[in-house]
Amino acid sequence: MKETLKLGVILLIITVVSAGVLAVSNDLTKDRIDEIKIAKSLAALEEIFGQGYEFETLSEKEQEEISDDATIVEIVEAYKDDTIAGYAIKTKTSGYGGDLVVLTGISQIEGQILGMKLLEHKETKGIGTKATQPEYEEEFQGIDVDEEATEAITGATVTSTGVLEGVNIARELYKEKLVD
Amino acid sequence: MNFFKIFKNGIVKDNPIFVQLIGMCSVLAVSATVVNSFAMGLSVLAVLVASNFVVSMLRNLIPSKIRIPAFIVVIATFVTIIEMFMQAYAPAIFDALGIFLPLIVVNCAILARAEAFAYKNPVLPSIIDGLGTGIGFTLGITALGAVRELLGSGSLVGINLFPESFQPIGLFVLPPGAFIALGILIALFNVGMKKKEKQELFKADMK
Repeated sequence: MKETLKLGVILLIITVVSAGVLAVSNDLTKDRIDEIKIAKSLAALEEIFGQGYEFETLSEKEQEEISDDATIVEIVEAYKDDTIAGYAIKTKTSGYGGDLVVLTGISQIEGQILGMKLLEHKETKGIGTKATQPEYEEEFQGIDVDEEATEAITGATVTSTGVLEGVNIARELYKEKLVD
Repeated sequence: MNFFKIFKNGIVKDNPIFVQLIGMCSVLAVSATVVNSFAMGLSVLAVLVASNFVVSMLRNLIPSKIRIPAFIVVIATFVTIIEMFMQAYAPAIFDALGIFLPLIVVNCAILARAEAFAYKNPVLPSIIDGLGTGIGFTLGITALGAVRELLGSGSLVGINLFPESFQPIGLFVLPPGAFIALGILIALFNVGMKKKEKQELFKADMK
């Protein structure tokens, strides 16, 4: 019993020190990593909507008033010349190797999906990562908001399901709460 | 303790990729281009040196019964630190390595060196063993990356070396091609080593 206790305490010390070191590393890199994520998001928004748009992310409170669905990470309003031209909705769904963060851009004027971008993922290279290819992203352009998105990647079912879930949740949210 | 011998072992006699054949998962998966291979090699080298250093420093404090979980905590901590800093300061390479960066935690080469060397030897030799094995790994995976990128994409370090009309052998960018290229490199390496051994024996005979 005494030996087991000793072993346990030593492991505890090792893991506590490890946790401390990791906490410090996290502090040192967190801000920079967040900056990079924001830049990536902005680049994705510009790719989906094009140039000449202003983007405003709804605050947590505003977002909660619209929906308390946990899979909705962010709702972004896209303005052109001070009028709302569309929305970009960021969702977090399950993929194969981890969570998928999907950004779906929807045009208010045309009532269509403008585009999809997979922002964060842990999918298998060459298989699930096909979801980041332009060929797959393009399949989402022009889908009517009343239609369910069903385009999948052969051989990457779990990844596709996760992406489609994100896109359709975004689409439904737009239909129910954001349409003028 | 001959430091140079320890260092050289990691690169030649006990090369993790060509002789010991450990840590293969990352080697095959990430080596489609020279840049990615080199980045993975350096990451493994960093973790090897850091992990060998800490394990060796703590070798008298870690009871044998719990050494494996202790090693894994140490290795996982260093890999996570590298992940965080890479994500913050080299995001392009972070994205390129993808899931294989965290998988370094289960790279057999690192656990093997901790168990076989760092746990039983003083700090300085352990650091050198980490350096040698890490450099051996980096050289091996970068060589494979060069072969695969050259034959599979017709480029090196992203620079196209052949005219437009050149049709590269796409197979080499895919897993089967990785196996084939790796197999050939292992064969060549070991043939070369055998030859050298014979030469040394011959020289020794002559004395």
